[in-house]
Amino acid sequence: MNPADLDNLPLGLPEPNVVVTVQVNGRTVTEQVPARLHAADFLRHRLGLTGTHVGCEQGVCGMCTVLVDGEAVKSCLMLAAQLDGRRVETVESLATGEGLSPLQECFKQDHALQCGFCTPGFLMTATALAAGERKPSRAEIRDELAGVLCRCTGYEFIVGAVEAHLAAGGRSAADD
Amino acid sequence: MTDVTLHDARVRHGLKVLGTWTKRKEDDRLLRGEGQFTDDVGRAHTAEMALARCPYPHARIVRVDASAALELPGVLQVITGAEVAARAGPIRILRPVPGAPVIPHCALAERVATYEGQPVVSVAAVSRHVAEDALEEIEIEYEPLPHVTDVSSALAPGAPVIHPDVLESNLLVSNPQGSGDVDAIMGGADVVVEGRFLINRVTGLPMETRAVLAEWRAGAREMTVHISTQVPHLVRKQLAESLRIDEGGIRVVASDVGGGFGLKLGIYPEDLLACLHAMSLRRPVKFVEDRNEHFRATTHARESVHEYRIAARSDGRIIAMSDVYLNDLGGLNSPFGSSQLSTVVFNGPYKVDDGFVERRVVVTNKTPIGAYRGYGQPEVNFAYERLIDKLARRLRLDPVELRAMNMVKPDELPWVNPVGAVYDSGDYERCLRMAAEALNWADHRRAGPGPRPSDGRYPGIGFSSYVERTGYASGKFLAARGSDFGAHESVTIRANRSGSLDVYTGVSSIGQGSETIFAQGCAEFFGCDYDAVRVHAGDTAAAPLNTGSFASRTAIAAMGALLDACARLRAKTLRIAAHMLGISDPEQLDIIGRAVQHREDLTLMVPLSSVFQRAILGQGLPEGELPGLDETSYFDPPHAAYSFGTAAAVVAVDAESGEFSVERFLMVHDCGTPLNPKLIEGQVRGGLAQGLGQALGEELVYDPETGQLVNGTMMDYFAPTACDLPSIELMHTVVPSPVTPLGIRGAGEVGAIPAAAAVANAICDALTGFGVELDRLPITPELVWRALRGKAPARA
Repeated sequence: MNPADLDNLPLGLPEPNVVVTVQVNGRTVTEQVPARLHAADFLRHRLGLTGTHVGCEQGVCGMCTVLVDGEAVKSCLMLAAQLDGRRVETVESLATGEGLSPLQECFKQDHALQCGFCTPGFLMTATALAAGERKPSRAEIRDELAGVLCRCTGYEFIVGAVEAHLAAGGRSAADD
Repeated sequence: MTDVTLHDARVRHGLKVLGTWTKRKEDDRLLRGEGQFTDDVGRAHTAEMALARCPYPHARIVRVDASAALELPGVLQVITGAEVAARAGPIRILRPVPGAPVIPHCALAERVATYEGQPVVSVAAVSRHVAEDALEEIEIEYEPLPHVTDVSSALAPGAPVIHPDVLESNLLVSNPQGSGDVDAIMGGADVVVEGRFLINRVTGLPMETRAVLAEWRAGAREMTVHISTQVPHLVRKQLAESLRIDEGGIRVVASDVGGGFGLKLGIYPEDLLACLHAMSLRRPVKFVEDRNEHFRATTHARESVHEYRIAARSDGRIIAMSDVYLNDLGGLNSPFGSSQLSTVVFNGPYKVDDGFVERRVVVTNKTPIGAYRGYGQPEVNFAYERLIDKLARRLRLDPVELRAMNMVKPDELPWVNPVGAVYDSGDYERCLRMAAEALNWADHRRAGPGPRPSDGRYPGIGFSSYVERTGYASGKFLAARGSDFGAHESVTIRANRSGSLDVYTGVSSIGQGSETIFAQGCAEFFGCDYDAVRVHAGDTAAAPLNTGSFASRTAIAAMGALLDACARLRAKTLRIAAHMLGISDPEQLDIIGRAVQHREDLTLMVPLSSVFQRAILGQGLPEGELPGLDETSYFDPPHAAYSFGTAAAVVAVDAESGEFSVERFLMVHDCGTPLNPKLIEGQVRGGLAQGLGQALGEELVYDPETGQLVNGTMMDYFAPTACDLPSIELMHTVVPSPVTPLGIRGAGEVGAIPAAAAVANAICDALTGFGVELDRLPITPELVWRALRGKAPARA
């Protein structure tokens, strides 16, 4: 292709678009998006919230876990269009000031992360867990966290960090 | 005796910052979701790439027609194999198997594809969506060729030869090594046990798939590449070679890397293709591998067949060990290719003078094999540790005593094994004894085999002892093996006006905590606060040339470089400070926190910031002192250090169904002087999780009929979740290595090594009465049930 022709290319295929209005981390945004755009890509590439990661796009690995109306969901299994009218919290919502949130502090204290790619998924899952009424046992915490994979840590310190956070009665930013 | 506690080790080396659980430098940004993984890097006007991959294990590419794809709005460029051949050289191997001929490896298959998933056509478009739409429109006519999916059939007479231009058969190379007349010893031995052990093909499965963003500025002839890699400087070297661009024109940046485990060593075809597209299109080009591609296009690991024999006297003393193993290479030779350390530590911790090992590397029509945590050591550990237990049963000896009897003793070290590996120091038996005691082995042994009354299950305890080679024995050692990289690490340390220090390293942050360890080392050796050190990792434009993060070698080599750089930086700092304070002897000064202080007269002090400002400004310096305050140092470790230990598993087996549970798992290990105990524990736990994954469920399964990968999705491949792993107990000993800075040994890979053998030995111990000997991985209830089938418990 002649490089001179590059400027004349369209920016994208003429494909069906939808308009989405969604509250993300307390801010309401309205965006026109391709109908086939999934929610994780929407958060990452449209809103610049790159703390939400993508690991399999099959709903297995849990890297993309965010809260939708307070519930932990895998955002790669939702279309951006399905977020319309919903409330979304991502990892970027946790630390509001200069310091880390109590949950994040527990992770740091207990060495609950190594490469950090899965960490947002665990943090958001734990945030939903902390917002619940139930005080889970250590085994139940393991079950709850089983929706997010980690290949670095062997999970022990993650489970410990979440347990410590729950024991401290940790509240999450999502509750406020 | 070289045993010391962690406290002793720290006192011996005068350590204050190292040896403690210091909070990680990496954590805050990662916890806040501010990590900068490759796909988080955005550039205006970025095009995205997608690949047409060969759906067959082996096929001739008859015709490629991309005309319809090029008509699609938003499609920018299509590259085929012929264009790649014209524009780029092949991907060079970084770690060749000695004696192996070079199999040409181009970024796109031009005439023949040799594995399912091999890239054939590359498309760049305005978005990944559009690029994938375009793939649907590309017509590729394939002529499927006969394929081979396992090493045995690949070597069978009449097997299709996969690379006939280079090889006469599918045997790439064979490397026999050893000493002594092993066959003669085997022939005359009281007892010989043997086994054929099948090691499963698995993948390291980092949570971040591979990703690359290439930006080309034609006028500057400059390529900037953001990439998820363990080796930024080696990527730069390989890109320069293949793209035929001067290395100086390539900058490689790996900011945050979402796991490596050996899979991100060197370049992949997609990295070259992104650069080629970027050069044509004059706009940034990004490729982010999706998970289904990852299962086919990123290196697999471990698959091998070990034919192992041990000869012993009737009292249990081992007199010869022999391992002939076949490593599956896959369809091409990836930059790190076939794992090589099965040979180096083939005898594990056992003292034997006569040994023979032969590595045979075999080409098959599967995804190329590459490095993965342990690089051959987990594979061979499974073979020799299974056989040690078999030998114990044959001789009616206690397997713990049999191990202890044959282990190299502390006063016999250093010791050279039959293939020339120099074991440096250690106390192998003590780790074994600690494990046996912790699990009440003696009581279990006394009780004898049989079901327990509570639930009718058969309890078993199994051990696996190992040594692990960590690091390389200098660049000279690697040169003898044709490796295209060195054994060294390097750092540049630079002072700032504020009194802080910048450390620049080519080691990217892949989760190992190197920013933290480097900052601890810098604070320790220079004498300043940990908080005053910032580490800049993984940018080749800033970091001195280096090797990278693999082979459990980074901390060993980097500590040497940090020691040297800090010593010189410190000396100059003290000289300038002495001049400022009017003191003749800089040795009377010390660095305390953020100041330089007189050792006796504490009123004589000057802030580090003032010293650094003066050096940077270049005014008011001592006579003859040059301006500036930065140092670059390299360190080439003279020897490798051998970590060691014993893992042990407690299982309960249902002898009807073969179902079993791992009720306890313990590991006693020694990695010399610990630099950061918590980070080491994290490394060991992570390695164990991968080792247990391999032992209990992970396996990439190919259908021999079709040559297709059957379970190449995240849904079908069993990687352990938080509730799939047993609780793991860790114990440590500290025997400093005499051959490394501070006496450290590597710790990054060790967990992956002993897990499988420990579990298998525990199950076989539980089922002693049935005569079950497991010889393959993964160990599933079905495997155990099959092994039990038709076998009744023998009479005691």
